[in-house]
Amino acid sequence: MAVRAAAAGFGAVFGFAISWGQFTDPDRIREMLLLEDPYLYLMMATAVLVGLVGTRLLRRFRARALLTGNLIAWDVTRPGARHVAGAAIFGLGWSVADSCPAPIAAQLTQGVGWSVFTVAGVGLGVLAYLVWQERRADRALPAAA
Amino acid sequence: MALEQRPAWYAIGLVLGLVTVGLLAFINERVGVLGGYSSLVERATGRSQQLSWKAWFLFGVLAGAFVFRLLAGSATVHGGYGWLTREFGTDAYVAVGALLLAAGALIGFGAKTAGGCTSGNGIGGTSTASPASFVATGTFMATAIVASFVIQGLT
Repeated sequence: MAVRAAAAGFGAVFGFAISWGQFTDPDRIREMLLLEDPYLYLMMATAVLVGLVGTRLLRRFRARALLTGNLIAWDVTRPGARHVAGAAIFGLGWSVADSCPAPIAAQLTQGVGWSVFTVAGVGLGVLAYLVWQERRADRALPAAA
Repeated sequence: MALEQRPAWYAIGLVLGLVTVGLLAFINERVGVLGGYSSLVERATGRSQQLSWKAWFLFGVLAGAFVFRLLAGSATVHGGYGWLTREFGTDAYVAVGALLLAAGALIGFGAKTAGGCTSGNGIGGTSTASPASFVATGTFMATAIVASFVIQGLT
């Protein structure tokens, strides 16, 4: 329960912040992607810088998570073809919708009706991925004797 | 507090960075929004019996944006939806809706394949210095920038 509450609380701050920073406005995203306005690049770079410093500190002090007591750790993944191919597909969708999963969700509760289509699309894309992975796993299994 | 004006980029960046560190410090998890959609889809289709913390983070995003809307008095999207409604018209529900549905599907499928979206790879993964996240972020940024210039050229 505490974990869920913490996740929702941090999510609420995230949703409010991206709304205030107008990351939820497709025209702001378009200005970003057409290299007309550095605001969102600088915003993301600041977030990553703060994140990098914070995660280094957590690791240096071998901190434990306040609610779960686990030693704070994370996976570091080597890049593979799926990261390039998946990100390219994602980038295409991003450039058409001028929005990505967090802003799409934020648009929905801001009352932007168009986001209903995008939310449905993201759900379908996720479902297509899950079905694809399940079929791949089925093919990889040896035939039953 | 003028919510219709966006604050300095470093202020919002600082908050997003603190959310990233806070999620690790409190529950030992990496920030990401697409995982919330995935958790909901998995629960709705019987692939999972319960919602993960990621779904609750997504619920929080929905709530935070709703509170912003209430306090600001208006949404951050005004009069249509960006280039799509300027090109096709604000009453072109079929054309714009179909493009947003298709774009959303690419976003969902692509981000699941790449292991994260703008927040999961672009902020969460890069904050933990994961090489895959730097590659994914560079790739989706470059692809989206090139595609945006192509769209601008065609419209």
